[in-house]
Amino acid sequence: MENFIGGATALFTDPTGLLIFIGGLLGGMLFGSIPGINMLTLGAVILPFTAGMTAEHAIMLYSVIYCSGVFGGAITAILFNIPGSPENAPTTFDGYPMTLKGEASRAIGAAVICSALGGVVSAVLMMSATPLIAGIAVSAFGPPEVFALIAFGLCVAASVGAETLWKGTLSVFLGMLIATVGTDPESAEARFAFGSYYLLAGIGFVPLILGFFAISEIFVQAGQIVSGTRAKISAEVKFPSIWEFWRMRFTVIRSVLIGFFAGVLPGIGATLAAFLSYGEAIRWSKDKSKFGKGEISGVVASETANNSATGAAMIPLLALGLPGGALTAMMMGVFEIHGMEVGPLVFITSSDLIWIVFAAMFFANVCILALGWIQTKTVVHLLRIPFRRLAPAILLIAIVGAYAGRNSVLDVWVMLIAGGAGFLLRRTGYSVAGIVLGVILGGLGESVFVKTMQIVNYDLIALMQRPIVALLLIAASITLALNILREVSPPKPDFAERQSK
Amino acid sequence: MISLKTKLVALSATALFATTAAAEMPKTSDGFPERPITMIVPFGAGGGSDQVARAMAAAIESVSDASVMVVNKPGGGGLSAVPDFMSAPSDGYTVFMHLDMAVASHAAGDLNLNPGKDWQPLGIAQLTFSQLYVRSDETRFSNWQELVDYAQENPGEVTLANVGASTTMEGVNLQLLEESAGIDFRVVGFDKPSERYASLVGGHVDVLLEQPGDIRPFLDGGQMKPVLTLLQDRPAAFSDVPSLADLGADFVPLMRYRGFFTHRDAPEERFSWLAEAVRQGFETEAFQEFNKKKFMDVVESYRSPSDAETLIDESITTYKTVFQKLN
Repeated sequence: MENFIGGATALFTDPTGLLIFIGGLLGGMLFGSIPGINMLTLGAVILPFTAGMTAEHAIMLYSVIYCSGVFGGAITAILFNIPGSPENAPTTFDGYPMTLKGEASRAIGAAVICSALGGVVSAVLMMSATPLIAGIAVSAFGPPEVFALIAFGLCVAASVGAETLWKGTLSVFLGMLIATVGTDPESAEARFAFGSYYLLAGIGFVPLILGFFAISEIFVQAGQIVSGTRAKISAEVKFPSIWEFWRMRFTVIRSVLIGFFAGVLPGIGATLAAFLSYGEAIRWSKDKSKFGKGEISGVVASETANNSATGAAMIPLLALGLPGGALTAMMMGVFEIHGMEVGPLVFITSSDLIWIVFAAMFFANVCILALGWIQTKTVVHLLRIPFRRLAPAILLIAIVGAYAGRNSVLDVWVMLIAGGAGFLLRRTGYSVAGIVLGVILGGLGESVFVKTMQIVNYDLIALMQRPIVALLLIAASITLALNILREVSPPKPDFAERQSK
Repeated sequence: MISLKTKLVALSATALFATTAAAEMPKTSDGFPERPITMIVPFGAGGGSDQVARAMAAAIESVSDASVMVVNKPGGGGLSAVPDFMSAPSDGYTVFMHLDMAVASHAAGDLNLNPGKDWQPLGIAQLTFSQLYVRSDETRFSNWQELVDYAQENPGEVTLANVGASTTMEGVNLQLLEESAGIDFRVVGFDKPSERYASLVGGHVDVLLEQPGDIRPFLDGGQMKPVLTLLQDRPAAFSDVPSLADLGADFVPLMRYRGFFTHRDAPEERFSWLAEAVRQGFETEAFQEFNKKKFMDVVESYRSPSDAETLIDESITTYKTVFQKLN
């Protein structure tokens, strides 16, 4: 606590530091909200500048960008079905349907509060027990445990947004199939690449989500305008009530824990945190059919978890020198530029600096709450713009976003094809959210499965002897069995009753 | 966006190197370079290759009045950027950064272009070797001899974290080592470096094959220690770690190197200008400092264009010999 007050005082009594803090906050939010460019782009651009700053300022700047960048994409995800960054993709699943129902401000309000809450709790956890958590997480969770976790998450993916469970399952399988394009994770052999360098790199995730969400939505809306069935979207400002949050307290707590956990483990990070947390929100919900159609707890789960992952991602970086993602890897570069090495010793050798960083991350999340509050009241009015004027702008942003990720025109084509395919799939009752879940969980799941098999020497019994793996895989099988059972058995009266609640 | 980025990078470079007022390189007789030079990096922003490219871009800007724009084009194990480079005009305004991975891809038949022949090397700016690492608190073995003994007593038990593909510098080096040392590891392939390191530190694998610069924080933090250097003779920085000569292994290990290329048919004068810019850039204090932090000063890192061609030629021969043996 003393350390925290020291860090906070140092942060607020230093005008340059405060300026950098505000710059990082706004910059991260801006870059996070534009698809294609994200906080990584900002991080790479400003990297050369950091050599001229003090170490405290430079590292504090990156940690603030990290916090606000993860939040920034939520607003465009909710308003226009454009996830600003991949970690906001699950926010579109329910956030955009809420906008269509005229509840945009309620969704944004929930996203703001949950982002801030997830970030603050994760910052507090980070401050209280960094070295301890890092050591436990890295040794308890190897590739086999991560595989089991992903398999567990994949089991509920079929319930998202499809007409029937079968269509949902097919959607997830399609996503997993898309994830196999490129190179296989074991020996990097080309797979479904057809001799093309482009396909060898795999189908880009960003063009895919832009196509499936933003582009296919333009088609859907255009169709409704042509047929005259489009309802006017209300831009009423209506915040979620405290009572609503109290009802979702378990979702919030669960999402913070999932996000925190996913953030600590190297190679998982905020994107997977959001997807896994969304999956769990469905699993624990009484009425699974509401998800994908504008259920506020879907937004809450996704946004709480991705921000909760930010503080957590600092833990392995600071305590073990293990960057979990690209931005934390850049932060390690900033430490190096200033002649410091991250690792257990950093808490002893640069204790002041660490506490300034912790304080900055804490207050960055508090500021998200304040800024987000103002944003909620203002950005909702963008919805007053007629859709026929808005659509070209969305299209333009999406094209630039798809291109900018890898500077590739082919990515733009992938996005447009995904947009067309997404439109047809949605019309026929399949779930684009399920496809996207399949792509991300399938791709990562295969990669950790290969490592798992190598570690346990292809011995499935040895795999099940790891307690965490056994627990998660058994739970996954039970979920799967229950889902199938529910689908094949005729609806019982009590089941229908429960549905109508 | 790109123009903003260029401006920012150029601005920062001026800020950084304003103090090192070295004699600026004159332009060529045809006025090259009169506009920004594009440097294509086949990997994402923030990684090892991106860092060296940006350091070199800044260094070239400090020794000349040229501005260098770094463009990241990741994907396909560094191959996605190749068509972009090949289709750019061969007027010297496009520079390609690549590493030994392109050479390995060529030897494996994944890339039909030979980096030493079809591209024009401008120089190599980073050259380093691999080592084997174990956890510092490992109780079963603490040095190379104990590791070999343990592996022979418990066949198939010792796991080693390496990159996924076997047709890479890391894969070939491991093959050569296993053959000549008579040791057999169970290889676990990881595509992301951080997962590779976490698996060793977290105790999910036993040994790691890596270059010292990449895991320097773990060495300084005392979490990992080297047990073998994959070089014939012990370098001064690791004089207490056995090397291949101590094992009686007589193979020539493959090195990790990162260099810069332009098109083969670029005008001769512009090629010479670029090669000189890379050489002078390498000599700058800032770049030397950068390389030192990455342990890239343990063996001499710079190779001139002709030496780079020789190095690439030699490694192609080694790769091909090993690949043939594998098939």
